[in-house]
Amino acid sequence: MIRAVVVDDEPLARDVIREFLSGDEELEIVAECANGFEAVKAVTDHDPDVLFLDIQMPKLDGFEVLSLIDRSPVVVFVTAHDEYALRAFEVHALDYLLKPFSEERFRAVLQRVRGQLAARDRTPAARLGSSLRGKPLQRLVVRSEEGAIDVLPVARIDYIEADDDRVLIATAGRKVPKQQTIGDVAGELDPDRFVRVHRSYLLNLDRLEKIELYAKDSRVAILRDGTRLPVSRAGYARLKELL
Amino acid sequence: MSQWRPVLLAIAAVAVAAAGASTLLLMRDGMAVESALMLSIGPSVLFGFIGVAARYPCRAMPLRSTSTTRILLVHAGGAVVASAVWLAVWNAWTPSVDSTTMFALGVALYALTVTMHYLLLELDTSRQAEEAVLRYRVLAREAELKAFKAQVDPHFLFNSLNAVASLCGSRPDEARQMAQLMADFFRQTLRLGAQERISLEQELDLVSRYMAIERVRFGDRLAVNIHINDAARQWQVPPLLLQPLAENAVRHGIASMVSGGAVDVSAVAEGGLLRIRIENPADPDRPAGGGEGIGLANARGRLAAISGGRARLQTSEAGGRYRVDIEVPA
Repeated sequence: MIRAVVVDDEPLARDVIREFLSGDEELEIVAECANGFEAVKAVTDHDPDVLFLDIQMPKLDGFEVLSLIDRSPVVVFVTAHDEYALRAFEVHALDYLLKPFSEERFRAVLQRVRGQLAARDRTPAARLGSSLRGKPLQRLVVRSEEGAIDVLPVARIDYIEADDDRVLIATAGRKVPKQQTIGDVAGELDPDRFVRVHRSYLLNLDRLEKIELYAKDSRVAILRDGTRLPVSRAGYARLKELL
Repeated sequence: MSQWRPVLLAIAAVAVAAAGASTLLLMRDGMAVESALMLSIGPSVLFGFIGVAARYPCRAMPLRSTSTTRILLVHAGGAVVASAVWLAVWNAWTPSVDSTTMFALGVALYALTVTMHYLLLELDTSRQAEEAVLRYRVLAREAELKAFKAQVDPHFLFNSLNAVASLCGSRPDEARQMAQLMADFFRQTLRLGAQERISLEQELDLVSRYMAIERVRFGDRLAVNIHINDAARQWQVPPLLLQPLAENAVRHGIASMVSGGAVDVSAVAEGGLLRIRIENPADPDRPAGGGEGIGLANARGRLAAISGGRARLQTSEAGGRYRVDIEVPA
């Protein structure tokens, strides 16, 4: 039995997928979701084989959903927008259905899903993809151990600190942990805005008040709220280049 | 160079007039026509040059923006100088000439020259004004076209067609209804878009047709309240001024909210002022769009065009509501 999750914020768009799937004896819909939050929870709870995923949704878009799940279902994007096709392949989506689609086209996709499920070695492909995206992220999404999802707009991030194999994101007076290396995070953010001032610190330039000489060859960045972060020699060179 | 051609022609005409008039004067004093003409050519050509120089004070003192006294004074001075030079040349050339008459002729010729300059300058000004009007019309037309193209969002069409496709399977009656709503909306868009001005009532009718389609897609997530007072109904606006803004309210507002919300549109005319407000819930965490969208920029441009810059369009966001406020004076 193939287990599917259907994610779309429009009920009618879910209806048509359900209708096309209903004739299939070997396939079962285990959850239907109307937004990205529900989708992350459903995928975590049900560990489905296949995910039919809309892209533009409230709160979390389809790509953000993929970056938050640690399961690896076969992903089929279903959207009216053709401009995300390239990104969809970067996150190793199996197919990209453009709305509206015919039943024949849908059947062909299901055929491919079956083939993929029979052959695949279920590597977590989606996570890999998130750092391959061309455009810098506008917000970071974080899932806590309890499963709660935090959406952090980058404009509100002060700095990001390395902490073993995870990072702590300093935003609005708190520190939010995220399971990712600081190098990976830096690669996803706008390099003109977030500067690696130190091996362990990634600074939002908008927050920088001034840089002070601390000792010979050793500098410290002072943020608007008074926080002091160490600046390495290489970090200082990067800062100077940008300012 | 092209602007000098009529000027030079006019000056040549003045020189010919000068030569003709002075020849006649000399003939009256008993000179033969050939000698009179020969004598007149030199001073007349010279007067032509004076005439060219007279263009500069004329251009520096346009008729519309200079006081009459100043124009009269400067040109009286000009006339005296020009006539004095003219007379001096005559005296050097033919001492027998009647000074008073010749001086009077100089003044008359100077007056003729100045009149021609002013005529030519006026012609120039009015041609430039005409060109400006034409250019403005072309710009306005382009803005209209852009507005029209911007307003039909292809994703709106594709998503709506997807809803029709979905309804066909389970609820064919509603599918038929949705197809009808879409056809009505697009037909109305084309019909109103072809007109120069429509009533606000017609525009808001188009907005509610649009919302009817979006309500099929979004279901309970979208509520719509449209309010218009009687005085505002017949107010004339360019077509498709508000519809793109209503579309933004759904696309960037409702679509970004998990539980949706209400789009409120109100239009109130009072004391010669039309106030329109479009309000929708907005997710404060939504990713920042790249500045002002095409719908908003277009509405701004068209409002400026219809009101000569007196209308205002402002956006604001507070308490999770995004607002577009428009004010148009009568």
